[in-house]
Amino acid sequence: MGTNARATPISHGALELVADSQSIPPGREFKLGLHFQLEKGWHIYWVNPGDSGEPPRVEWHLPAGLNPGVIEWPTPQRFQSSTVVDYGYEDAVLLMVPVNVDASLKPQRSAQIGATVKLLVCSHEMCIPGQAELSLTLPVRAGLPVPDNKDASLFTAAQKSLPQAPPQTWKLTAAQTSDSFVLSANFGRRSAGGEITSAMFFPLVESEIRNSAPQKLVSQKTNFQLTLRKSDQLLNPPAWLRGVLVVSFGNSQPDRTFSIDVPVSKNLPVRNPGATKMSSAVGVR
Amino acid sequence: MKRSNLFSILIALALCAVSAAAWAAKVGEPAPDFTGTASSGQTIHLSDYRGKYVVLEWHNNGCPFVGKHYKSGNMQRLEKEWTARGVVWLTIESSAPGKQGYVTANEENDYLAKLQASPTAALLDPTGAIGHLYDAKTSPHMFVVNPQGILIYDGAIDDKPTTDLDDVPGATNYVSLALEQAMAGKPVATAATRPYGCSVKYAESTH
Repeated sequence: MGTNARATPISHGALELVADSQSIPPGREFKLGLHFQLEKGWHIYWVNPGDSGEPPRVEWHLPAGLNPGVIEWPTPQRFQSSTVVDYGYEDAVLLMVPVNVDASLKPQRSAQIGATVKLLVCSHEMCIPGQAELSLTLPVRAGLPVPDNKDASLFTAAQKSLPQAPPQTWKLTAAQTSDSFVLSANFGRRSAGGEITSAMFFPLVESEIRNSAPQKLVSQKTNFQLTLRKSDQLLNPPAWLRGVLVVSFGNSQPDRTFSIDVPVSKNLPVRNPGATKMSSAVGVR
Repeated sequence: MKRSNLFSILIALALCAVSAAAWAAKVGEPAPDFTGTASSGQTIHLSDYRGKYVVLEWHNNGCPFVGKHYKSGNMQRLEKEWTARGVVWLTIESSAPGKQGYVTANEENDYLAKLQASPTAALLDPTGAIGHLYDAKTSPHMFVVNPQGILIYDGAIDDKPTTDLDDVPGATNYVSLALEQAMAGKPVATAATRPYGCSVKYAESTH
């Protein structure tokens, strides 16, 4: 049986290292998780923190044979203070990390998993940096891993909050003008879910879009376009537009969140009234 | 009229005026002119310094990212080095009254003396008018203007977006690089980066 880690206090909250399994399974994958619980009014940051702040950074101290992947970031929230817009999480969040285990790892009674987490916890008023040393002890056992019941619901909820692949019926494209990106989705025929009533794009990469700018949505039964102002710090337009798109359907359906990863058309579209095709223009600014 | 009401109205007007302008500072374009009050009491215009390089440093004395550069003596060193070479260094506080980083003129002068910081001037911008004109997002957020009044750098002070003092010595300082390259007549290789730090504590918009 694994030793459950006690939550380590951090500024205005607590942090604990958890696992979705009661043992480390050789030749298979399991998940570790950084479980943040924050006091009301305090937040941590997403992989792209937005205009200010910094995301948590983890350094793993793992036994040989454990290969950690990258953090699986749940859909972030948007925090706005005057003209400064940040992306992150308040209240509680589980940052999951998949770990691949070498098949050659021998069974053992207890293996020590450690993590050094550098973090920044902020309110609207101030930021407090910190560092937490976390540890978790688990046995290494052959065979299918047994779920950790205590934390199973945490992992289930976190899995649900991850952005999903967009529907296959959506044809997604991204174009650009001198000052904006335009993300377009064509459903082909009427979308089964109904018209989208609101949309918010969270860019994965810093300094691509102006985080504080409103995102203009033009929504119809068979398509929508979302206009994103370019960042003032963007000098070379990216080849790909990557991020998370949160859409609302207006009826009683819950919001859906999708992972967006589309190439950005190199050419500036020349817009003629009524034209549906984009002609290439001279160069990109 | 009560002083606090007048102040709120002034903030609202300033924000309305600034947000109405689609203009934000952009690298390669003229840096927006502004008028500010220094902690010395002097009135300062950016255009006063045409013919010189100007560094704008957004500041908040409570922010740990700013603290990294002052506790290590890094910012003081930069100010000394560059002002000695004829660069104008303006440290700017855009925190609203009551918010972290807000300082009165006396408090700012005491702070500068205590930390042995030597900017050309410290501008007090509690309405956030100058901050919004430049869309200053963080403290620190750095801008460099060339002698022709063109913005040649906008972004982070260096390439280590952390609060660790250990990260100061090995960091690539974008401000120094921009000044060195521009002074040598070369193009600025890294003209814009994501500024890192705490959010600027502006007054909340009333509209």
